[in-house]
Amino acid sequence: MGGVDQGWLDRNLAVLARRLPALANKLAALEVPHTHVVAAAASGEPILIVRGVALENRFDPDAGARAWANEQTERLERFGAQSAIVVGMALGYHIEGLLKRWGGRIVVWEPDLYVIKSAISARDLQRVLERIEIVTEEEARGGEGGFGRALVCPHPPSILAQGERLRRLVGRLQSAPALAGPRLKVLVVSPMYGGSWEMAGYCASALGSLGHDARLLDMSRFWGAFRDIEIFGARKAARGRLDRLFADFLARGALASVEAWEPAVVLAMAQAPLTRQVLAEMGHLGAVRAMWFVEDHRHFDYWRDLAPELDYVFTIQREECGEAFRAVSDAVWHYLPCAADPAVHRPLDLSAEERERYGSDFSFVGAGYRNRRLAFAAFADCDFRIWGSDWEGAEAMRPFLQEGGRRVDTATAVRVFNATKVNLNLHSSTYHDGVDPRGDFVNPRTFEIAACGGFQVVDERKELPPLLEPGREVVTFSSVREMRELGIYYLERPEDRRELAMRARKAVLARHTYRHRMGELLGEILARDFERLASRGRGNTVQEMRPLVDGKLGKFMDRLAPDLPFTLDAVVASLHRREGPLSDEEAIFLFLHQFDELYLKDYRQ
Amino acid sequence: MSRVAEKILIVNLTRFGDLLQTSPVIEGLKRSRPGCEITLLAEKSFAEVCEGIPALDRIYRIDLDTLGAELLEGGAKLLDGFNYVRRVIDDLRSEGFSLGLNYSSSKMTAVFMGLLRIGDLRGWTMTEDGFRIIAHPWSRLFASMCLNRRFAVYNLVDYYLRMADIQPWGGGLYYRISDEARAGARRVLREAGWREGEKLVAIQLGASRSARCWPQRSFVELGREISASLGMRVVLIGGRLDRELAARTHLELGGVALNLCGATSIAELGGVLEQCEALITGDTGPMHMAVAMKTPVIALFFGPASAFDTGPYSEGNVVLQSEVACAPCDHNVNCLRPFCREEITAAMVARALRLRLEGRFDDLAREASRWRSVRVFRTTFDRQGFYRCELLGDRPAREEDVVREAYRRMWVAELDGEGELQGAARRLDRSIGSAEAKKKAGGCLWGFGQMVSLAQEGYAQACLLAGEAAKRDPSVLRCEELGERIEAIDNEIAKIAGIVPATAPLWQMFRFGKENLEGEELEPLARATSCLYAELARRASAMARLLGEEKRQFATWTQSGAEERRTGRGREEREAQEWL
Repeated sequence: MGGVDQGWLDRNLAVLARRLPALANKLAALEVPHTHVVAAAASGEPILIVRGVALENRFDPDAGARAWANEQTERLERFGAQSAIVVGMALGYHIEGLLKRWGGRIVVWEPDLYVIKSAISARDLQRVLERIEIVTEEEARGGEGGFGRALVCPHPPSILAQGERLRRLVGRLQSAPALAGPRLKVLVVSPMYGGSWEMAGYCASALGSLGHDARLLDMSRFWGAFRDIEIFGARKAARGRLDRLFADFLARGALASVEAWEPAVVLAMAQAPLTRQVLAEMGHLGAVRAMWFVEDHRHFDYWRDLAPELDYVFTIQREECGEAFRAVSDAVWHYLPCAADPAVHRPLDLSAEERERYGSDFSFVGAGYRNRRLAFAAFADCDFRIWGSDWEGAEAMRPFLQEGGRRVDTATAVRVFNATKVNLNLHSSTYHDGVDPRGDFVNPRTFEIAACGGFQVVDERKELPPLLEPGREVVTFSSVREMRELGIYYLERPEDRRELAMRARKAVLARHTYRHRMGELLGEILARDFERLASRGRGNTVQEMRPLVDGKLGKFMDRLAPDLPFTLDAVVASLHRREGPLSDEEAIFLFLHQFDELYLKDYRQ
Repeated sequence: MSRVAEKILIVNLTRFGDLLQTSPVIEGLKRSRPGCEITLLAEKSFAEVCEGIPALDRIYRIDLDTLGAELLEGGAKLLDGFNYVRRVIDDLRSEGFSLGLNYSSSKMTAVFMGLLRIGDLRGWTMTEDGFRIIAHPWSRLFASMCLNRRFAVYNLVDYYLRMADIQPWGGGLYYRISDEARAGARRVLREAGWREGEKLVAIQLGASRSARCWPQRSFVELGREISASLGMRVVLIGGRLDRELAARTHLELGGVALNLCGATSIAELGGVLEQCEALITGDTGPMHMAVAMKTPVIALFFGPASAFDTGPYSEGNVVLQSEVACAPCDHNVNCLRPFCREEITAAMVARALRLRLEGRFDDLAREASRWRSVRVFRTTFDRQGFYRCELLGDRPAREEDVVREAYRRMWVAELDGEGELQGAARRLDRSIGSAEAKKKAGGCLWGFGQMVSLAQEGYAQACLLAGEAAKRDPSVLRCEELGERIEAIDNEIAKIAGIVPATAPLWQMFRFGKENLEGEELEPLARATSCLYAELARRASAMARLLGEEKRQFATWTQSGAEERRTGRGREEREAQEWL
């Protein structure tokens, strides 16, 4: 490495030592590797080259920085930002340019300490360091507060040099609600039935908790009508046509919702009744179209038809799945594993009666797929219970089947996870006898049991280790025999079970909630479509409006969720859950909402 | 020591015409509650008209336009809107009103009224915990009739009056214009080409909705006809939005017409109408202004406008309403073929105008007999002071005419004292002609009979529920079972109301009554519910009798229901068992 001026380094470090002593100490001791080279531009000024990528203009670094700073200043002013979060420090030319043009708060986010060391070694940055804040975290924690209304300003050469890591950071930052980025209207479209129906609700609620204006389009209301198509007694071909007509009707309904509500993002869950044509029309209406395909892509192929009209596809499988999507669509593909909702999937203080009702040594919650029917025979001599549907014909399992083989609701499942000593979790397969030796994705049950504080033994999955650590957070098995042996082993070791379960729950709460997933999902979208979505405007949250009020209204607002959008719809919706006499503040909001409904709704649309 | 004046608040956030229709209640309150102080809360943009309402002590203007703009902007402006409403509420609370009358039937005003915490609130309001109620039986009746307009019984003004416990007296509407406004009106007329002494007929061109507007070519034909047959000039009036229509009409009529559209203030409009021999108009604000100025009105009612609901509230006006089966239509429909407007021709209107101006109502009735496509009404007041529309000419009564007449008798008897019912039935026979009435309304009798039976059953179940709830250790299962039966009966009653629309107003009143039930305790709730069933049974049986049903013996029921209402509790269980 060249370009070290010990005088500048000492002076710069002195400023840093005053403001960020921990960072200064770290930097002082840091040796910059050869991947980071300070060279001279044609103009003679130093520039930084990281892994062959120049972070400044090779001819005139000031000119490049000026152009960037002008563009960012315009964005910041248009957005009415209080803070700029500059991702990428380089040698700081662009930050100097921004400081000259814009008077707001500047936070520089640079996870690569070598870049910072290079910068303070190569240039006199004392004035810059006096005015900026520096964050070196690798990840946006999602709880970045105190930046006020902030806009993320990525430094493109830095992102080019650092690749995926920094690009993802930009997305995560942009989707962090505390940064007061764009609050998006997101329409979550559920399927009529199936596992992803519940997930749609969790997603909508997570998006809301992230401060976005999320609305769930709950298609399950049509499930009864869809099922009742059978009363026509149609033959197979005619029934197929009727089913398609019905699905098309629902898709048109979703389109009407998009027309009326104008969401920025439409998030379709797997099996959501949308058609390619309707997705295309949603695109024409300006909505970003995303799908979270929470299924095994090998089992279904309807996604092939929809994918060309999607902008983003999120899947719970990696590699092969991504390739399959890329082969038929230009949509951005991203891996997004399942999760749990801690508000629903949580430890319960069960009564003795509930423990009796829902508890057993071993239990399984789920549908009766082929491999499960065969594998669970291994527990025939145990205190074993099966909760779930589609077990018809599995005679050997009949003694263990609970509630007549009805589909269990979430509340029951959560009680079972809590009450069971060893939860068995065997991923489904229609063609294996027991464990799928090449199983990849991780099912929601894995995260749900963990979030409940339940202990589980789960079959080995390729994608599991980075999510939950086998042996430390969950116990894995590779065969039915191993499942039984491990089950019985841990049944006799309650302390070990408790330890593992506690660690698994901690891991889920820290990394695998729907809130995390939705943050990541929007991060991906915003990393590419930020400008388009930000231009759709942004409302305020209760938290942001709170400083403007005092007295009784202030107290009223303190009772609302801080990240609730400060809109009449959202405030009044929160009142519907209350009981007892209305306060004046509540009644006035109700009045304003009725006024809005009566006179303004049509005007607004 | 001086007595503190009774303070009354009237809330009316509707338009110009509706505010004028509030004038009789203000007049009536001053008469019935001497010394009272009346404040009228009106929307700022329509409040100008209130300045001319005599007897009004104070106008409180609420600025909904600015509030709307603030809500649309959101964020900090939403807080501004909140603070504005709080100031309004604080202002009004500090007045210490003892009576509040809400004449704007909307959820919005219901919440508003609930916020005011006035002891005696009538009309749409809200319970402490946020549920809408409609306080006062006449207000509930008005709300019921809005949903069943074919059987609309009374004029809006009469509902307003009865909600304030004022007996209608047929005094019309009230508006006072200043000398200055009067002079301004004459000046505007002169500037438009009017010569003093020249007789004028005003024509109001527009209406709030296009379905209520007469086609422009008809106005042109009418203007020419008036000029040719009566030798009078026409004055085109209307609001800002009618200017283009007025300009075109003026162009076609030439010297026959004076165009005053958008040229006057509200008060000057009153002055202009005062100068005119008559006003030809749809169901509009100027129609009510003409009534207040004692200028005869020839009203053309199209689309959803109903002569019975909002016709010109004074003696001797003429209303022409299309005879088409779908008229009047519902307020919420958007008619794509409003051919009802074509049924009334310019020649008919000109003829009606002439006969009205000459006071020849008998001749008008003869003419009306020939106009098969139009029903012609003369406005008048009945012996009790209620507004009524008298159908002119030899025209067959429709089923709804008969039912309306029966309701007219029944509601007054029910809401103002039940002793009148027997006499009311006799009067109905005389007024409609019993043979025809029975024939016309025959189809409805089944529905009313069914409603009586169901209401009796509901009464019995509610009494049993009250009895169970009153026990020291009531059975939850039994209470649930009875509750389910009551719910099933309510569903059946709703079905009857759907099958026989003539019964729907009764069901609607019953529903509103149920909505108004308050409290958490099961026993009093069940007793109050039993009273509602008793009320429904009594009303349905009265309707059946009024419409000609003689075989069923409802008298006993009526009597026992009344007793039940008076005593609150008593023979419930025994009666319940008998009916079951």
